[in-house]
Formats: sequence, C-alpha cells, structure tokens
Amino acid sequence: MIKNCRKYLTFGWVLLLLYACSDTEAPDKPFGFEKPEHFPEPTYTFENNPVTKAGFELGKKLFFDPMLSRDNSVSCNNCHQQSRAFADTPLHATSIGIDNQFGIRNAPSMANMAFMQEFFWDGGVTHLDFVPINAIESDIEMGESLANVVEKLNNDEEYPALFQAAFGVSEITSPFMLHALSQFTAMMVSANSTYDKYVLEGQPLTELEMAGMNLFQQKCAACHQGELFTDFSHRNNGISSVFGDEGWATITEDPSDIGKFKVPSLRNVEITAPYMHNARFNTLEEVLGHYDGNMVDSPSLDPMFKNGGEVVGIPMTEEEKVQIIAFLKTLTDHDFISNPLFRNND
Amino acid sequence: MKFLKFTAILSLTIFLWSCDNDDSPSPEETGSFQVYFDNKVGSNEVNLTAPGDKNYQYETANGEKFNVSMLGYYVSKIVLEGPNGEYYADEMDASAADSKGYYHVMEGESATANIQIENVPAGTYDRVTFTIGVEEDGVQEGAAGGVLDPANGGWFWNWNAGYIGFAIEGTAENSQQEYVDWGNGASTEEKTFALHVGGWKDVADNENFVNNVRTVTLDFGTTVTVGDGLSPMAHVVTDVLKMFDATNIDFNTTYSVHAPKAGAPFANVLEQIFVVHHVHQSTSSHD
Ligand code: HEC
Ligand code: HEC
Repeated sequence: MIKNCRKYLTFGWVLLLLYACSDTEAPDKPFGFEKPEHFPEPTYTFENNPVTKAGFELGKKLFFDPMLSRDNSVSCNNCHQQSRAFADTPLHATSIGIDNQFGIRNAPSMANMAFMQEFFWDGGVTHLDFVPINAIESDIEMGESLANVVEKLNNDEEYPALFQAAFGVSEITSPFMLHALSQFTAMMVSANSTYDKYVLEGQPLTELEMAGMNLFQQKCAACHQGELFTDFSHRNNGISSVFGDEGWATITEDPSDIGKFKVPSLRNVEITAPYMHNARFNTLEEVLGHYDGNMVDSPSLDPMFKNGGEVVGIPMTEEEKVQIIAFLKTLTDHDFISNPLFRNND
Repeated sequence: MKFLKFTAILSLTIFLWSCDNDDSPSPEETGSFQVYFDNKVGSNEVNLTAPGDKNYQYETANGEKFNVSMLGYYVSKIVLEGPNGEYYADEMDASAADSKGYYHVMEGESATANIQIENVPAGTYDRVTFTIGVEEDGVQEGAAGGVLDPANGGWFWNWNAGYIGFAIEGTAENSQQEYVDWGNGASTEEKTFALHVGGWKDVADNENFVNNVRTVTLDFGTTVTVGDGLSPMAHVVTDVLKMFDATNIDFNTTYSVHAPKAGAPFANVLEQIFVVHHVHQSTSSHD
C-alpha cells in the first residue's frame, strides 16, 4: 500500500507540474539543445542537466567572470575566445594563466563539446562537467580551488538568486556551478559552415574546395573522421620524438602510448591557430608541410605514416596542399563565431 | 488555464486524501539496517597522527614501521540478502543535488562510520554486499553533489577524471619521501606515504585500463531480523594491516601511489581487509 500511495502522489505532482508549466508559454524552449541533422548523437548527459534559459545565462556569466580565478584576474574567456571558435588567440601559443604563467598546452576550440567522448589533449577527462575543475584548480590556469570559488559565489550579491532561478537551490554547490558551465558550453554547436551547407543543402563548393575535399577523404579522414573530423582515437602524428608531455600515456600509464594525443576536430581550424597540442605550427601551410615531409620517427608514430621501416608521412604535391587548405577553410562557421547568444552581456 | 491548475491541485488533494484514508496496516513492513565500519590496524584501534610523526605505532609482518594520518573510502551499492530470497538494494542516484547511496567513510569522523539504510523489507538477512569506490555509472553521469562533491571533501581526480575509492596516508620509517614545499602554504612532510586507489575504466582488450573498484560480499555467519521497531547492525572491521601484509608493502619503493595501475595491487586485496566482526539485533547494544 505504501508503494501504491507513492505512485499516486507522483502522478498527482506530475499533473500539477504539467498544468503549471503549460501556463507560462514554455520559456525554456528556444534554449533546448538541438542536434544538427548530420551529427552523431550527443554524448552529453542532458537528461541530468537539461539546458534552460536561466541555466545557460548563468553559465555564460560564469564563463566571463574572473571571479573563478584566485586573484580575480582570469576568466575562461581569457583563453577561449568566440572569434577563435573558443580557442585561444594566436598571441598565446600555449595558454597564459594566472600570474602570467605559460601553460604547456594549446587551448583547443570549445565547439561541439556536447558530442565529444573525451576532453583535453590526453583524453584524461571523460565527462564535460569535469573539465572546468581542471582549469580552475590548475596552478597555471586559474590557480583557485573549487571550494573557494563556491564560497565566493555563495557570498556574492547576484549569484545565489541566479542559481536559485536556474536550479531551484538555496545554496550553491560545485555540481550546479559545473552544470551551468556545461549548459553554456554544450550549446556551442558549430554546424553552419560552408561545408555544412554543402552537406545539408547541396550548396556547391568551388572546384578547388571539391578537389580538396576528395583529397582530404583519401589522406586525412582515416583519423579526422566523420562530421566532427575526429575518430576519437589517440595517435602520434610525428611532430616530435621527445615528449616532455607524454599525452595519452599519462592516462594509460603505458610507455608505448608516449607521444600519442587525441585526434582533434578540424572544424573552424582556419581560425584556431596555432596548431597541435604544443602549438608547434602557426599556419595550415606548416601543418601540411609537416605531414608531407617533416615527420619525425619515434616508437609510437602512427603506422599509417610508415611504409616498412621508413617514415613516409602523407605525400602531397604543392597543388594538393593548396586544395586541402581550401577545403579546411570551408569548415569555418562564421555564424558560430558571431552568434550573439555567446556574447558577454555586460 | 487557472481552472486546470485548480483541477490539478484538487486532484492531488484527493490523491493525498485517498492515500491517508487507505493507510491500514501495511503488509509490506519495513525496517532499518545499519552497517558500522570499524577501522583497525591489526588488533589496534586507528590512532591518527600528524603527517611526519616518527613515533611509529604500527608495524607490518615484514617489520615496516608506520603511522596513519588519514584513512577513508567510498562505500556504495549496499545490498542486503537473506536465506529466503530476501533482497534489498540501497537506492543509488548520483545527481547534482545529492549522491544517494554513496557513503564516504572517514577515520576520525565517527558519524561517517555508521551507514543507516532505511526501508529495508522486513525479514531475515545473513549477508551484505557493498562496493568500495565509485563505478562508471557514478562517474559518467557528470557532476554530483553530496559526498561526491569535490568542493565539499569529495575525492576527485581532476586529471584522470574519477573518484579515489580508497586512500590511506601516513608516515613510514622506510619511506623515501623528501620534504616538499609546494610554495602555496602546503607542504609534504619527510617520510610520509600516500596510497590513493582509484581508476574505474574497463576497456575490453585493453589491459592498460585498470578498474580498481571492488565489490565485497560478507556473510554474517548468522541471521538478523529486520522489521518494525528493530534496528539490527552489522559491525564490519576494516583491517588496513591486512592490506599492507597481503601486498608485502615496501615503503622504501611504494610511498606515493596516485594512478590506477600503481593502485591495482592494493585494489586486488581490498576484499580481504573487510570482515563482519559480529552482528547485533539492536543498535543500542553496540560497543
Ligand atoms: C589559462 C588558460 C585557460 C583558462 C583560463 C581556461 N582554459 Fe579551458 N583549456 C585551456 C587549455 C590549455 C586546454 C587544453 C588542456 C589540455 O589538453 O590539457 C583547455 C581545454 C578546455 C576544454 C576541452 C577542450 C577539448 O577539446 O578537449 C574545455 C571544454 C575548456 N577548456 C573549458 C574551459 C572553461 C569552462 C574554463 C573556465 C572555467 C576554462 N576552460 C578556462 C586553457 C584555459
Ligand atoms: C594517423 C592519424 C592522422 C592522420 C592520417 C592525419 N592526422 Fe591530423 N592530427 C592527428 C593527430 C593525432 C593530431 C594532434 C597531434 C598533436 O597535437 O600532438 C592532428 C592534428 C592536426 C591538425 C592540428 C589541429 C589543431 O587544432 O591543432 C591539423 C590542422 C591536422 N591534423 C590536419 C590534418 C590533415 C590536413 C591531414 C591529411 C593531410 C591529417 N591531419 C592527417 C592525426 C592524424
């Protein structure tokens, strides 16, 4: 009987909620996350953290708020800028954080995080919610402890009411702060480039771009695969033979993985220079020059770049490189980098 | 719309009322059950001392002298079973608001040692199963509150996202740890050790991923009765000396364990360190 009683109770509440909600013209609807038609299913756990207007706006405020750092000097936006598809500016090869310290890794674009299986160059984080903890607690990024940030937020004049509105909580705790940041981040879907218009609407590419796309399919898509341009694997593409940063081996603790890094998405790659985990290259021409003839051998170099014992890389003519670069530039999503939705309100 | 809202509230009231009315004695009687975790070093109580304290209180079978400064573990997925098919699984739900079914037992915080489980169906029980650590389903649902909240004492590995399931820290005569000043007011004392057992990934055909989460089943050796007005308890002893002896710990080489592979030998003996010392039919008689 007790059980049955509960069932009725829940039923009653659900009815009540439904009716109460239908009264207010579903204010959160425009903020619902939408998967682009040609993308894979999102990996983000929206069922635990549905995107709402209040949650998204709160996440945005946090993203632009230097209060998240120890000396209130660094915000997420310092290293992730909309005009760069939320990668860092080329001025900061590897990101600069608190006390002007240099990080060891290049800040990647935050586009399409809702579809990724792993985060960071070494793939060490497996859920988007946990990503900001690293930024906040890293000595060289924001140098702050999560507990202090939560305390600062609770003592702030504005945040408690905003968390109350977004999540119905009277006390701010770290999971709700992380959920707000994830709501903002998960909405950063970039799927409206020239390439997408070709795929979805058949808008033609130029001859040069088409030639580049065909070459890309042959030479690059084994790793930079599918609509996200990554197969989510970890590989060594021969940029070095000594790895101070061990990459994937940090997570697998296997020496044979030293030098392997996550295959990055190439969406918006035109505007996310410099390139590679250690910001090794400044231009796409340098990147293609690397794949063509400058690859360095090491035990974990991807077998795809070898023929027998010989490092062959990806042979390309100068003309082919021009074509491939023309194609890579069709991946730039100008709507995304100018979308007012992601702009700072203040 | 107003009318609809009114109807909804009215119907809810009726449901509530009808529930109240029907509340005759329930055939599904329930009670509570308590699992008490009692940490020991062999037969000694755990006496926490400051990191760096070289006045060693304990010794392994191999003669390794040590002290303990911190000890704790996550207990989750508690299941009670009985000889007649009785079965009760503690509700699990890691969400932003709370982490139901996850408990963080910390030596020195006595309230954390008593895990009280409610709504256990009445019956006899003779076995408890629990998990040490946080499995994939607790990690991959995203940020969680309660005892899993990293800003509130939760044991979270940022760099290799997941929770530390079991941790023991202290000072050991043979530890090679040197004094480290971290420059931000924090330091690591000389001769300390820290063993953090974490890692939850199970990847088929990839032995690089070690899942250090372990499930332990303990028989009571007798039965206890759960029911209205009864509050039985299982007194579980956690003997950390067994962990050191079973792994033949050599603090000279093993004093800093902070990654899944290095933690695996300790995870592999976790099942051996827990034992049901005794059960009580009533909590009040607990010693
Ligand atoms: C000081 C610069 C800096 C700041 C500040 C910073 N980040 Fe980052 N971010 C980075 C770098 C560098 C990486 C790559 C780190 C790595 O791979 O180890 C990164 C990676 C990420 C990623 C993962 C991208 C991917 O493809 O794996 C996300 C998401 C992200 N940051 C979000 C944030 C958020 C949210 C904040 C604010 C709480 C923030 N970052 C603050 C530099 C920064
Ligand atoms: C064997 C797999 C593989 C193939 C084939 C491959 N790549 Fe990559 N690519 C990677 C990996 C791994 C990285 C990241 C390496 C690092 O940072 O250490 C990368 C990085 C890049 C980057 C830098 C992206 C950034 O945001 O920093 C560009 C651009 C790129 N690749 C373009 C190409 C092109 C164009 C081709 C074909 C000519 C190609 N790749 C073929 C694996 C591959």
